[in-house]
Amino acid sequence: MNEIAIATEMLTRKFGELTAVDSMNLRVQAGQFFGFLGPNGAGKSTTIKMLTGLLAPTSGRMELLGIDFQKHPVEVKRQIGVVPEGMGLFERLTGSEYLRFVGRMYGLDRATTEKRSEELLEFMQLADREKTIIADYSHGMQKKLALAAAVIHGPRILFLDEPFEGVDALAAGALKSLLARMTERGVTIFLTSHVLEIVERLCSHVAIIHQGRLVAQGSLDELRSGISAAEGEKKTLEQIFLSIVGQSGAEQSRLQELTWLT
Amino acid sequence: MADLIPFPGVFEQLKAVAGLRWLITKNSMRRKNNRWDLIGIIAAGMFSGLFVIAMCFAFYAGAYTFLGKGRPSWMALLFWGIFVYWQLIPVFVAGFGASFEFKSLLRFPLNPPTFYLLGLGYGLADFGAISSILWILSMLAGAFTVRPGAVPAMLVVSALFVLLNLTIERLLGSWLEKILARRKTRELFLGIFVLSMVSLNFLNPLLQRYGNSARPRFLAIVPYLSWLPGSLAGQAVAAGSTGNLEQFWIGVLSLLGWLVVASVLLWNRYAAQYRGEELSEGTAPAKADKKTLPHTSGELWPAFVPPAVAAVVAKEFRYTIRNGFSFLTLFLPPIMVIFFTLQFTGWNSAFKRHGIPVEWFFPGIMAYLILILLSPAYNSFAFEGKGIQTYYMAPIRFRDVLLGKNLFLAILVGVELTISLTVLIWRIGLPTLPQLVSTLAAGVFAVTGQFTIANWSALSFPKKMEIGKMRGQRNSGIAVWTAFGVQLLIGGVCSVILLAGKWTGNPWVPFLAFSGLTVATVGGYFASLNGLDALAETKKELLIETLCR
Repeated sequence: MNEIAIATEMLTRKFGELTAVDSMNLRVQAGQFFGFLGPNGAGKSTTIKMLTGLLAPTSGRMELLGIDFQKHPVEVKRQIGVVPEGMGLFERLTGSEYLRFVGRMYGLDRATTEKRSEELLEFMQLADREKTIIADYSHGMQKKLALAAAVIHGPRILFLDEPFEGVDALAAGALKSLLARMTERGVTIFLTSHVLEIVERLCSHVAIIHQGRLVAQGSLDELRSGISAAEGEKKTLEQIFLSIVGQSGAEQSRLQELTWLT
Repeated sequence: MADLIPFPGVFEQLKAVAGLRWLITKNSMRRKNNRWDLIGIIAAGMFSGLFVIAMCFAFYAGAYTFLGKGRPSWMALLFWGIFVYWQLIPVFVAGFGASFEFKSLLRFPLNPPTFYLLGLGYGLADFGAISSILWILSMLAGAFTVRPGAVPAMLVVSALFVLLNLTIERLLGSWLEKILARRKTRELFLGIFVLSMVSLNFLNPLLQRYGNSARPRFLAIVPYLSWLPGSLAGQAVAAGSTGNLEQFWIGVLSLLGWLVVASVLLWNRYAAQYRGEELSEGTAPAKADKKTLPHTSGELWPAFVPPAVAAVVAKEFRYTIRNGFSFLTLFLPPIMVIFFTLQFTGWNSAFKRHGIPVEWFFPGIMAYLILILLSPAYNSFAFEGKGIQTYYMAPIRFRDVLLGKNLFLAILVGVELTISLTVLIWRIGLPTLPQLVSTLAAGVFAVTGQFTIANWSALSFPKKMEIGKMRGQRNSGIAVWTAFGVQLLIGGVCSVILLAGKWTGNPWVPFLAFSGLTVATVGGYFASLNGLDALAETKKELLIETLCR
């Protein structure tokens, strides 16, 4: 499958003097489980916000599924699902009310919305909280609901900003297998996470952003081949990440300065 | 292993916390886009300062007069005034947001006595405490001027009184914090509070009617107040100033007794917090709800209403009934009609004396109700919070969101005006047919005429509000002025048109004029939607940043 799901060209976003994302050229093929990594403040969330229509780029182009986002935003949004930073929930609705609301916003008919809401609540183990409003959900429950809302319309691309943060191990396992099944069916998943082990286990391809610039992009094997390793040694994603971002030495020297702590 | 630092001293910790509180106050004035708020804070500060200074003179004059003119027992009135003010003002100033600022200090190595002292110190820095202490000092100055012999007694009583007020205020605050820590109780409390404030409107008519008969019952309660702190402080000062040492010591020991009881209770509350009492909200209920997801199908709305618009209307309805404050405002219009008609027709004849005729009262009250009901439209995204992102992520045009919000509000206004009209007819009767239809047409014009500008204001000057909180829950300054200007303009136009009916001698002229204007404003409203859709895209970042903060 060679269809390009996400393509950006010189994508740039500035906040006053600060360039949060700088001339980014990103390519994600359809059906890939794509991990988007970077240190804090590198520009990950800004990129996701631009790719999902929550933030306008300063310059550059974005195409999702071959459609120009700036020219046809509604057409693109119909085909993507998003779990944004902060989850974007209406906290005064119950879980089922929120899913019905989202279903209708995505143009699903009432019967389909009802059916899918029920199935998703069941899958996410939220069905027994029918009368509980979202404000009273725990963080993990809110995360599961946000995920349910992101997939209710059967998106072709799914953007997930830290999807497993605060989700218990049982639910996380179920979610991971759900996401894996979705990619098997051709759905593209674009995921950011600080937990590199999760990214390594789930993602086939990875991009690393540092100080607003894309510094690496490719499959895990391609990234491994780009850095030096001893004979027979297979570098972990964490080692690749640290090697590319180049922070390990600096961290070590900073630690050495804190002699009173050690 | 790192070296252990020496245990910090109590005064060092108190000093650090005092510094922290000052920094929080200072930094809160440094936020971006907050100039209007800063002007508001300065104005409020000046007003409060003038109020405190004026009251200092009043308390000085009070003590001077009571002690100088042989009425020392009246000093109790001054102490009572301070007591009530000191205990009530924190409730109004603090609002109903759960604040864990003080309790969060527990993560530092504090011992229980230090934590207790910090609690009292926090109370001393409150506006209510500072102003009350200034007033007590003014009373001391008054006593010193007119009767220096009373000063030692005043000093002892005042010191005890300050400590007692401080302890009771912290105790009430701590109980209040416990009650308000949970969302449901906080919203219930806010609802009761708002309802009490609205009920104050009925105080005057009730006093007019029942004042004389209730007076003896009220006076019968007064002797029982003599065992409360305000009276005890007054009695002790009075006795001390007249040399009645026995009565003086009874008063002082009674105050001391109150102080011991309040301190023990406060110590127990703080001890519970120190042990790690859990007050936080947001946890899921322990007991699962019964699973009864409804199976429904088919469309509820006519086909010409887009699903997204219908979804927004449904969401707005749920948000309104789950927001205690908004929900209560639904009851306000008929309550206000009852209140105004009580003034107008029955117990109090103020309106009659001023000769306000029914034909002006009817459009007047309708205009007032529209004013109340439409004000939230000028900041209609206030309660969306992070949910605003859903509107921008969904494959819809923002005009659908605005349409949904406006449609819901129009339905709400329609229902409210119908109920209010029914109450009005019950209270004062039906106006003439031309008056009725002209006023209703004016109502439709006023509502549709405001929607376009209200939508522009909501997109351009959003201000986040949180359900169940009072502190900082107001629209942005520009939105308030916009609403005021538009409502003044529309009110002026409506008044001139209604008067035109009188001038021309044709009672149907206003109806025709309002009908024409309504057609124009409805046309203008739909024409504006595309422009507002584009504006929503331009203001996207502002809205998301403001509401998701």
